[in-house]
Amino acid sequence: MRHYIKSALSTGMLATGVLAAGVLVAGSMVMSASADTIKIGFNVPLTGFAAADGQSALHGAELGVGQVNAAGGINGEMLELVVYDDQASPKEAAPLAVKMITQDEIVAGVSGSYSGATRAAATIFAESKVPYISAYAIHPDITRAGDYVFRTSFMGEVQGRAGAKLIGEMLGKKRVAMVTLNNDFGKSLATGFKEQAGNFGIEIVAEYEYSIKDREFGPIISKIKADKPDAIYASGYFFTAGPMVSQIRAAGLDQPVVGQEGYDSQKFIEIAGGASEGVLITTSLDRDSSAAETKDFIKGFAAKAGYPADMVAASAHTAILVLADALKKSGSGDKAALRDAVAKTDLTASTGHISFNALGEVQKDVQVQIVKNGNWHHHSVISDAVLLAPPAQ
Amino acid sequence: MLLIDLCIQGLIQGAIYALIALGLTLVYGLLRILHVAHAALFTLGGYVGVVVTNGSGSFLLALLTAMLIVGFVGMASYRVIYKPLLMRPPLIALIASIGVFIASEELFRLVFGAYGLSYTNPPLKGQVEILPGISLSHARILVVVLAVGLLSGMGWLAVHTRIGIAARATVVDPAMAASSGVNVETIRYASFFIGSAFAGAAGVMVSLLNNLVEPTMGAVPSYKALAIIVLGGLGSVRGALVASLALGVIEAFGTIYVGHILDRDSIAFAFLIMILMVRPQGLLARG
Amino acid sequence: MAYEIVVLTNMAISILFALSLNVITGFCGQVSLGHAAFLGIGAYTSAILSKAGVPLVVTFIPAMGMAALVGLVVGVASLRVRHDFLAITTMGVVFLFTGIVRKQDILGGEIGIAGIPAPEFGRIGLLVTALLCVLAYLLFVIRIRKSWAGFAFDSIAEDEDTARLLGIHVPRFKLFAFLVGTAGAGLAGALYAHQIRFIGPDSFGFVESISVLAMVIIGGIGSIWGVILSAALLSALPQFFQIIDDFKLLVYGLLLFGAMRFAPDGIDGLLKRLFRRAGGTR
Repeated sequence: MRHYIKSALSTGMLATGVLAAGVLVAGSMVMSASADTIKIGFNVPLTGFAAADGQSALHGAELGVGQVNAAGGINGEMLELVVYDDQASPKEAAPLAVKMITQDEIVAGVSGSYSGATRAAATIFAESKVPYISAYAIHPDITRAGDYVFRTSFMGEVQGRAGAKLIGEMLGKKRVAMVTLNNDFGKSLATGFKEQAGNFGIEIVAEYEYSIKDREFGPIISKIKADKPDAIYASGYFFTAGPMVSQIRAAGLDQPVVGQEGYDSQKFIEIAGGASEGVLITTSLDRDSSAAETKDFIKGFAAKAGYPADMVAASAHTAILVLADALKKSGSGDKAALRDAVAKTDLTASTGHISFNALGEVQKDVQVQIVKNGNWHHHSVISDAVLLAPPAQ
Repeated sequence: MLLIDLCIQGLIQGAIYALIALGLTLVYGLLRILHVAHAALFTLGGYVGVVVTNGSGSFLLALLTAMLIVGFVGMASYRVIYKPLLMRPPLIALIASIGVFIASEELFRLVFGAYGLSYTNPPLKGQVEILPGISLSHARILVVVLAVGLLSGMGWLAVHTRIGIAARATVVDPAMAASSGVNVETIRYASFFIGSAFAGAAGVMVSLLNNLVEPTMGAVPSYKALAIIVLGGLGSVRGALVASLALGVIEAFGTIYVGHILDRDSIAFAFLIMILMVRPQGLLARG
Repeated sequence: MAYEIVVLTNMAISILFALSLNVITGFCGQVSLGHAAFLGIGAYTSAILSKAGVPLVVTFIPAMGMAALVGLVVGVASLRVRHDFLAITTMGVVFLFTGIVRKQDILGGEIGIAGIPAPEFGRIGLLVTALLCVLAYLLFVIRIRKSWAGFAFDSIAEDEDTARLLGIHVPRFKLFAFLVGTAGAGLAGALYAHQIRFIGPDSFGFVESISVLAMVIIGGIGSIWGVILSAALLSALPQFFQIIDDFKLLVYGLLLFGAMRFAPDGIDGLLKRLFRRAGGTR
């Protein structure tokens, strides 16, 4: 027995050594692409539970890169996307961020991933002084990782405030029941909504919480029925909101349902069917926009992906265009200059006019979309700079 | 009124749990294995349900096809996963089962797409007022009817047919049953077929209630159903039924009244741990 | 080099984490489906302290202490429920842990804890620290294995009732296993928090618990060297598998199944067979 342990020990050490060597080789082998392209890192969940959003984000980013390259690239040089699957996990995203920065020699990174993964990677980008743009991750601390981190989507709080204005002022509904998704997205939306509710005369009748795994809302809906609110403010993603809205309508409740960018997908309408008619959301993408940037994106996305565009894709597309624009302006490969150029962004992209505040949070209008005849359509725009001001530190 | 409504919502959820947990408890009774991949069969049921309904227009045909297909796949899962591992410690089969579950979630995603599938024209949308002020959709009523029908049908089989009696004998003492001429293998295949078919039916019904089947639809049942059969006393069919309904109702009330302190899963597991500390053998002992 | 260092540090943390579960499940035979809860307890304890200015190495002690304290409570539960009932109870523990963390604002709630300070000694320093932790824990575990406790564990794992007949104080050794195992997980958690520098409830859930159990079983239940190898291998897989992209998790799932189907004794069993063949009979 003892003899065995000894020999096992030596094999074990040997095998660990071989393995470690394997990591080194595999690491240095993967990326040896041509040198005359400008590389942008892109971490995105392509497998696991977040794969649907990841796929859309990737299509959006690839579309952006394609458009930039078709228009002559960055002063003649082509953009190249270096894509890694992070499974929306902080544990996978952190080493990938290091890899993109130290081995792939990217000039900047874009996150097409969820909050946890993006937050973990943001620290590494910020400390390595490589610009990083979060396309749609909502975590409030992402941009606080450092000066080099930006976000092209709304913070949850900002959208929550817009939701309060939409319900209390624009729809004139005062008694509101909240259904809050239990994660950073739902929680920060609820914070913003509650903060502004009083200012718009809203009384919050009740708040119910649910987990991202829930698809069955029978008990909550029964209780809302008893609460008799004037409107329902429900946070969620298309895969939770679709079943929720269809169950709300099936239970005979006809109050307006107000959601957010998480609903923003054709799949929501497919799941909820007729029940989705009249649902309002606050989001970044205006389907009926007359702006050429948005129209091109919507058309280009449908052609490339084979299904209609969504918020996630638009955000990833916007992030790429913001980077491309900053690359053109900064001219050199210098990352500090690139960072400054991103900070000074003043650009119209697929999600509207983009500029950043001192923290790196986006400043833009909130689009209100409504479901009509089985499609998302323009309802109104909220452009109240004071109400929508993201935190600056 | 609200209390009754919540009870009804809880019982409907409990009926779904019961359909899923039955197969798990049958398998545990026969093989002493925690059959996590059962949840993948549940998801498969959902996919077959949507695909066949959208293709043929008949929901009934879809339900029957799903039960049949999932039943056979369940038998195959016994042959491929568990049969070769029967002589090993149960942990080995558990990890193998988890591996198959992870792989099938990914397989569903690769075959049917990450966004999941929905019914183009969801059937059974009509409403019936069962009590003044409380109405349920036909789909929800069908969930209850199916659960009661299938489970009592199985109860009848277990008491009145040769194979049912033989199955119960095998659970109590496999060696003794085998020596009295029971073909233990047949019993196992039959149990996998029935348990999986029920899970398939549950998958179809859940896909209809949500109007969505996603690759990860089985994620919650994969662990919640384990909690249920343990709560019920591991291997006890009656215990699993009681536990399913109890958990459904507790979750319904829990999400409303303690939802701001604990989420749904935590409520379920807090209840489980409390019960096990008092009754370490579960609600109903095996039998 | 930076990338390799990060991957190797991840490996070291996974090895420590798997070794700690190996004490409970491998040595003592108590199946735990909720070991990630203790990784989480260590991570949160260490993260909060280190944000308050406590040096990383000092946070190791409270991180291990907190994890072991809760581990002791679960250990007491293990005296009451057995076998598969215990497995599902521990699964409940991890769901309760994440459920409670989600609602506690001091723990960051759903938002988690970001901005955990970088270890004062840099990336290489963290790797060295992690390796030293692994080494220390490894030596401790080997010592246990060879002591009277190791024998007691074996017999409890084999058959609890027989162990009792042999005069082994079963509750004492079970509690000891939980104490050592959860403290190890707490230490791994402290390292994890400073490696990723962002923690949230989703990082310490059921899935993480399952993947560490898979490391132990694929390594070969109870085998120290097998578990080290499989933990190193499985923790680096997602990084290796970047090449096969879309099929990564599919391959991982099939690998778990295949390993159990064709090498149910794990890496340990494979090595043993290899040695028998090479070294003749023994």
